Amino acid sequence: MARIAPWLALLVLLTALYAMPHFAAGQPYVLHLLILSMLYAIPAVGLNLMLGYVGLVSLGHMAFAGFGAYVAAVLMVDVKIGFWSALALATLASGAAGAAIGVVCLRFRSHFFMIVTLAFGLMLYSVMNNWDSVTRGAAGFAGIPRPAPIAIGGESFPFGPLDHFYLLVLSAAVLVFALQRLVVHSDFGRILAAIRQDERLARARGVNALLYKTAVFALGSAIAGFGGVLQVSFLRVAAPASFSLAESINMVLIVIVGGAGTLSGPALGALLFVGLPEYLRAAQEWRLVVFGVLLVAITLFAPRGLAGVAAGLWRRISSRRAQAAS
Amino acid sequence: MDALLEQIINGLMMGSIYVLVALGMVLIYGVMQVVNFAHGVLFTVGGYLAYFFYTRLFPSYPLAVLLSMGSLGIIGFALERGVFRPLAGNLRNQVIASLGLILAIENLVVAIWGPNALQFRVSATDVLVPVGELRFSVQHLAIIGITLAMVAALGVFLKYTRFGTAIRATSQSREAAMVVGIPVERVHWSSFAIGTALAALGGALIGPLFLVFPQMGDAPLVKGLAAILLGGMGSVPGAVAGGMILGVVESVSTLFLPTDYRDSIAFVVMVAILLVRPQGLFGRRMRGED
Amino acid sequence: MSRLSVRGLTKHYGGIAALSGAGFEIDAPGIYGLIGPNGAGKTTLFDILSGSVPPDRGQVLLDGRDVTGFAAHRMARLGMARTFQECRILPEETCLENVLFAAQQKGMRATLVQLASRSQAARRAKQDEAMRLLALVRLEAYAHAPAEALSFGQRRLLEIVSTFIGVPDVLLLDEPASGVNPALLVTLSEFIRTMYAERPRVFMVVEHNMEFIMSLAGDIIVMHQGAVLERGTPEAVQASRLVIEAYLG
Repeated sequence: MARIAPWLALLVLLTALYAMPHFAAGQPYVLHLLILSMLYAIPAVGLNLMLGYVGLVSLGHMAFAGFGAYVAAVLMVDVKIGFWSALALATLASGAAGAAIGVVCLRFRSHFFMIVTLAFGLMLYSVMNNWDSVTRGAAGFAGIPRPAPIAIGGESFPFGPLDHFYLLVLSAAVLVFALQRLVVHSDFGRILAAIRQDERLARARGVNALLYKTAVFALGSAIAGFGGVLQVSFLRVAAPASFSLAESINMVLIVIVGGAGTLSGPALGALLFVGLPEYLRAAQEWRLVVFGVLLVAITLFAPRGLAGVAAGLWRRISSRRAQAAS
Repeated sequence: MDALLEQIINGLMMGSIYVLVALGMVLIYGVMQVVNFAHGVLFTVGGYLAYFFYTRLFPSYPLAVLLSMGSLGIIGFALERGVFRPLAGNLRNQVIASLGLILAIENLVVAIWGPNALQFRVSATDVLVPVGELRFSVQHLAIIGITLAMVAALGVFLKYTRFGTAIRATSQSREAAMVVGIPVERVHWSSFAIGTALAALGGALIGPLFLVFPQMGDAPLVKGLAAILLGGMGSVPGAVAGGMILGVVESVSTLFLPTDYRDSIAFVVMVAILLVRPQGLFGRRMRGED
Repeated sequence: MSRLSVRGLTKHYGGIAALSGAGFEIDAPGIYGLIGPNGAGKTTLFDILSGSVPPDRGQVLLDGRDVTGFAAHRMARLGMARTFQECRILPEETCLENVLFAAQQKGMRATLVQLASRSQAARRAKQDEAMRLLALVRLEAYAHAPAEALSFGQRRLLEIVSTFIGVPDVLLLDEPASGVNPALLVTLSEFIRTMYAERPRVFMVVEHNMEFIMSLAGDIIVMHQGAVLERGTPEAVQASRLVIEAYLG
């Protein structure tokens, strides 16, 4: 029974999410929030694979989201390629950029690795902000289209309407989370976990650590780029500010608070990040103050983040139930 | 020729600010082996507190600067005891905690003082001093002077006082320092406090020149990082050299590069140094981490 | 052709010579002891043999092939396995997972194929062998317990057991007996003998515990000050004046 329960819960959750446009009819606000949460959660999965499962603290993650976003923007607006091709190409390009930059960054350990990722992130941001002829500079790259309508059962399904785009982002998020699970519960994932726990031991057992770290850096960057394309298609504009150092720090926060190295962490972190201010109805700054404090507190007292706290509670409840039954 | 001299002096001035940030960071790194990414926001708070003391308490700029330094020293002490000490040994968590601090503090500043830049008018910025054909505000030159004085004072403190020697000993080997009876915990929090006070000084000095705004510490953080990498991670003279060189190179570069890319020089320096000579100009070879 | 050939290995750390021209030839399978006073260079030798560090000078040949300076993961794939002085295991994984990980294919291509196919066949195939090995060191009860729950001695056993599942040709055991209580030492000693009997190959064991190594090894290599001082049977080495002086002097 215990093995089926999580799958059942997941099924219920997915059904509810797919049915949300129906439940939330007349409240576009809810869909808007969910879309924003998912647009944060997708790059967070990429960072979770790097940071949570391998232990690579990248301070430039959102720069790769921006890389993907701008590549797609140029492809769609200047080269006039369709959304789906642009999405695929931009994702691949982000992965390639991740591999190239990763090769340089991964030569360094701990502090130095973080500093180099920070530096590369700032460099990419500087290019986005200043290379006016290509990226349109600080003003942002406007005119990014939604995907062209697709044909479903003879009917045309456009992505202009909010609930249609919501279904697109939801499907993309499900895909990314499924990929995360696939990677984590595989030989590849076991190697990543071994690298995190004891890299020297992993190497002694035949793991080419540098190769695997580069591979996961590339994968994480590709996922970030994928999310970046969806984000700018949703907003219809690409702005450098969305991919700044501050956003990269937010991403670290989302992964850690949600629970680094857990499958649901990125989703929980993103939901909290987007949802909390709405719940608190507080000003933007205060939300981030709370988050900052929360991040410090989590590091000090609950390193496994929200997912860890939730898992701990679940264990205590089920053991208490087992005790009561016996 | 004049243009070059002007940029060199500008560069020395900005370099001085970088030196103040870098000194704090190198002190903390040397003793605690932690890169304090939150140094930028502490710089910002230093600027805001100086502004606050000057406008709300007493219109004496030197007093405001000193109060700001003192306050940040206390804040640094609190941060070391409350956040960094409990996380000692876990580098990843220390860095992540400092990211949390950045978020919390930077947004707290916005919440209290608003998102807009504030003018911090001080007489020193209005009085001009002629240097050859050029004119600089007293503040420009004061920054250079005060920084040099600070560097000298810190140097004397580290080399010739008992506690300064204790700090140097701890940065070389924590275990050996403990064996010899040095109060390592006290060394940790005082280094942190001195470091944050220096950051505050930087913020308080630059405020009158370039306004006081919530992101004012972002660039200095990156420049400070570049400076300590350039100079060598554990080296105090390295931090001074790195900061000054970076400042001057940046300023002089505006003579032939578009100013948009001036900040990128620091990034390029960081990556180049790590690739070509990771121990920097004066640093020691880092212990292996395996 | 010699199985393992070490020639003129030299390694400096800072100004200190950890190894100065150490060398020996191993022509046949067997359990070889590597002893010597502290600072003799034994662990450095292991680090070089296993690929963790490159030597400054010298050569290492495995079955006639020059493998000098090969990285650790390459040496591992060439059939060289080692344990560590400080005992390294994967703390968050179960004992069974620890052993299975050692058996797992580490090449990128094989790993990506497994990722796409989600095949569990290779893992299942190794499961029985893993449990058998755990039983040989009386850890089968802990198969599903996290490795960090084990005592130090038990972790040592786990680490050693994990090296065997990959069927290595050369095994380097770095102070396997240190930190293990006497009761478990017997289990350990028997385990090593059993594994050798199942498949004779080159075992090299660094040890300070003389009783343990002298009863286990057939050939003892003595190191001193970075080079090989003496070599022979346990009896010969224990009686050698050179060796006694090296330890006392």
